[in-house]
Order: sequence, then C-alpha cells, then structure tokens
Amino acid sequence: MAERLANRLKERRSELGLTQAELAERVGVTRKTVNTVENGVFVPSTLLALKLAKALGLAVEELFSISPD
Amino acid sequence: MNSFAIGLLVGLGVALVSAAIVKWRRRDMPMSVAEKAEYLSKRRARMLPALAVIFLSQQATFFSTVNSPAPHSAYTVKISAWLVLSIVLLLALSTKGFWLERKEVRDLIDDENTRANRNDAMRWGFLFSMAAAIAVYALTLFDVTVTARDAVHIVMTMGIATALIRWGILERRAHRDG
Repeated sequence: MAERLANRLKERRSELGLTQAELAERVGVTRKTVNTVENGVFVPSTLLALKLAKALGLAVEELFSISPD
Repeated sequence: MNSFAIGLLVGLGVALVSAAIVKWRRRDMPMSVAEKAEYLSKRRARMLPALAVIFLSQQATFFSTVNSPAPHSAYTVKISAWLVLSIVLLLALSTKGFWLERKEVRDLIDDENTRANRNDAMRWGFLFSMAAAIAVYALTLFDVTVTARDAVHIVMTMGIATALIRWGILERRAHRDG
C-alpha cells in the first residue's frame, strides 16, 4: 500500500503567525523548500524535519505523520 | 592563433561579459541573503528551459553545417563555442552555480530541495544520454554513417538538454505556491 508523509507545517506556521520565508530563514533553507514540504511535494531529510519541528516548537512526530495515499 | 582557439576565447569572453552585466544590473538592489537566494533561485528556474533552447538551437546549427565539404573557420568557431557552452552548462548542473555570489548565498540556494531536484535532473539526463547512445548505435547497424564527433554531439545534447529542462520543470513546480 502506498504511503505518504503528511504534515501539519502550514497549520502550525499559521498558528505562530510565521510566513514561509520567515520559517525558511529560521531553519536555513529557501522559501521554496518550505513550500514543497508543506505541499507534500518534497519529503525532507531527518535533519530538516528535526529543524522544522524545533523551529515550530513541536516534536517531529507531532509535525509529521504517515498517512495512506 | 587558430580559429578553434579564437572560438574558445570568444565563448569565454561572452560568458564573462554576460556575468559582469548581470552583476552590474543588480548593484542597486540591497537584499538579505535569504531574499537574494530566493531571487536567484526563481531566476534560475526561468532560465533553465531558455538555456536548453539556446543549447539545442546551437546543435541545429552544427548539424546544418556538418555536411559542408570542407570545415571552414566559422564552422570551427561554432564547434568551439558549443564546447564552451557545454562545459559551462555541465558545471552549472553539477555545482552550486552562481560562482560570482557570496558563499552564504550559494550555500542557501543549494539547499536540500534544490539538491534533490538537481539529482533527479541528472538522473534523467543520464538516462536520455544512454537512450541517445543506444539509438546512435542502432543506426550504425543499418549502415548509417555516424562519425565520432556526431555521436558525441548527439549524446551530450540529449543529456545536457534533458537535465536542464527537467531541472527547470522541478524548480518551477517547487516555487509554485500550493
């Protein structure tokens, strides 16, 4: 069964009132990378997932989850 | 100095002048590292397909003059210009690019998503190169004469152009807001 990585990035970012660019700057990537992770186009590395979770004040498993396609 | 060397120098000269013009045009645009990386990344996404078109049109010139009876100096200049462009494009595909920018800008532009897109583009480029090589080989089985130079042109053109187009598509898709 195909699976995909779901995330709460957009929801959490909005809660904190951050733009994609601001979040990108916090984790040291371009806005494009945050955009693709949010849209599920790009699966981030463990390192980036941890950085994103830390920047958004969540545990990585609260931010990302596996969902059936 | 022979015409091949002149062609190489002309190609390098044009590349350097183009880079200097781009740098000069951006002199009054104060930007943070992140803003600059975003700006350059978007510009690259727009430029990649255009570069592929320029590269392919150069090949059309090559194949339209390849059967001329005697190679003349203009032909040699075209060949060497093609060689310079091929090397520049290969370097752009395989490195962080933007060689005149500061290190922090270059590092940010070459972030995780960009590297993934570039790797995918290189994979496509390799596969299309191999497909072109197989096609050229198959042609020779039917007594079609393909010189080594023609074969190199075809294989390199397919590989580089495919990688440029694929990377351009992926980068544009990545910049699109979802």
